[in-house]
Amino acid sequence: MIARSFQQIFAPELHGRLVWFNRLRWCAVAGLTLASLAGPPLGFPSVWPSLFVVASVVAAYNLLFLLVVRAQRLEHDPSTLCAIAFCQMVLDLAALMVTIHFTGGLQSPLMVFFAFHMVIGTIMITARWAYLLAGAASLGALLLLTAEARGVLGFHPLVPDSAFDITISRLNLLALIFGVFGIVYLADSVVRRLKRRSIELYEATDALSERTEELHRLLKEMKGVERRKSLYMRMSAHQLRSPLGTIRTVLRVLDKGFVDPATDQGRKMLAGAVDVTDSLLSVINDLLALAKMREGRKHAPWSRDVNLNQLLGDLLDSLAPDAEKRHVALVPDFKGVAVLGWGIPPDLVHAFENLIYNGIKYNLPDRSLTVELRIADEFAVIRVIDQGIGIPEDYLDQVFMEFVRAPNAKHHESEGTGLGLAIVKEVVESHGGTVSVESRTGEGSTFTVRLTLNHIPSEAERLLQTGNGGGYGAETGRRV
Amino acid sequence: MATKTVLLVDDDQVFVAAVSAVLESRYRVQTAANGTQAFEKILQSPPDLIILDVMMDYMSEGFDVAKKLRRDPETKAIPLIMLTGVDERYNFREEVEESWVPCDRFLEKPIEPESLLAEVEALIGSPPS
Repeated sequence: MIARSFQQIFAPELHGRLVWFNRLRWCAVAGLTLASLAGPPLGFPSVWPSLFVVASVVAAYNLLFLLVVRAQRLEHDPSTLCAIAFCQMVLDLAALMVTIHFTGGLQSPLMVFFAFHMVIGTIMITARWAYLLAGAASLGALLLLTAEARGVLGFHPLVPDSAFDITISRLNLLALIFGVFGIVYLADSVVRRLKRRSIELYEATDALSERTEELHRLLKEMKGVERRKSLYMRMSAHQLRSPLGTIRTVLRVLDKGFVDPATDQGRKMLAGAVDVTDSLLSVINDLLALAKMREGRKHAPWSRDVNLNQLLGDLLDSLAPDAEKRHVALVPDFKGVAVLGWGIPPDLVHAFENLIYNGIKYNLPDRSLTVELRIADEFAVIRVIDQGIGIPEDYLDQVFMEFVRAPNAKHHESEGTGLGLAIVKEVVESHGGTVSVESRTGEGSTFTVRLTLNHIPSEAERLLQTGNGGGYGAETGRRV
Repeated sequence: MATKTVLLVDDDQVFVAAVSAVLESRYRVQTAANGTQAFEKILQSPPDLIILDVMMDYMSEGFDVAKKLRRDPETKAIPLIMLTGVDERYNFREEVEESWVPCDRFLEKPIEPESLLAEVEALIGSPPS
């Protein structure tokens, strides 16, 4: 959520109000000028030239503030705007006091303009400053009354020859004091409620725009996923199409009688086609395995406490004949016992078989293949270290991608679906682990798998709990 | 007229064996599994025609080999047939348009043995039988 302060929200609004306030003051200037001119003929001589002078002064400072407010337009600094507003209020108050003084003191009918002043003040500035303004108005009126009563200031009745009435003036002062504070209180409570609504509205708008942004991001992500999926499908189709094309060509050549299937040449071609069929089947099997892993099977054969030492030991035993055939020495190097809190044993077997078989396949004759197992903190670290052909640098960051095979791998060993390492990555990551590779061409490759010992996917936890009566929780975190 | 030589460049050995069997009925056939081998064979004895697969060691190796052949004055005039899967041509369309390899024929895999023979014949003729 983007937190916006009260000031940030209201600064532009305050600026707008200052502009409006400026326009409003021109009306006051016009009203005062008109009153000062029309007063004497209508029988109110005291307003000329006093109100005209007040109008001129108000016009002068209004012009000044107009320039100041215009200059502030871009900055919108809330504290500056507030200060400008308060200065204007104080000057207006002074102008009103002078106007009151020349229109009959506290008996002036223009006393009602204090109410306008207070409402505008409350809207423009904060309540605290508005109360201060109300206090200033009350104090000003009290001083005016006192000065007029003591004769310090002259009494200028609106109607000539009317007398100074101290009682009415005092009552008017009392009414003024209650009036201004009451108006500030009422106006403030209304303004406060409006401001709260505005903030709520702003927050709701922010939340909404954030939600919209997130939806846009998700949509974009989904489109990306869709594109990758489509590319993957196209690559898969291509991987299937090429060997099928070869098989078709062989069949066509035999069918059209270019080669007799009964001859050695024909038999050799057919045997070649069978090999291609086998590799096609391997690609299909790997694609299916990968798809199954990625679907997040509900009924995956997962189990608790998967002993990696045993799993790797069994694998090395079963791959021993392949290693022997290629004169590669298998070297198990296990330190400690690694038990995964959770795992899918067939997938782990598949992944480590791919890694170890690759190590045998791409090794050089009479070299060794070391399978190292270590416990480090909360991880089981398995390294498969060969002394084989290695992986060219350009291919190092791509080998885990589907259908990527380095040229030296293709030359060394034509057999290979290009999916083995993608399967390794998928299995390791679904077990909360990582896999990485270091390699030098001609010297060998080291694949490092790090598996978190206590990784339990949330969906697996839920299913295991419902399936095993909640017995799983007690055993999580166990390390052997 | 001496028997003409066709150089078939493709990394798919089973495919090479099948297509060689077809071509051998009328031509002498040399084979190579990648660009490097192809250039070795061409240097030894320039063939009368080259059939080149696009996708070998890497996705567009065939294009690079073809470009090199077309730049070299020695090999510039040798007729060239390129083989490709439809998908490759789609993938590399931009690349092809940018640096179009002026091959003489573009054939899609899988190929019909007779049409390949017909194309080769159209380019270099057939020996008198």
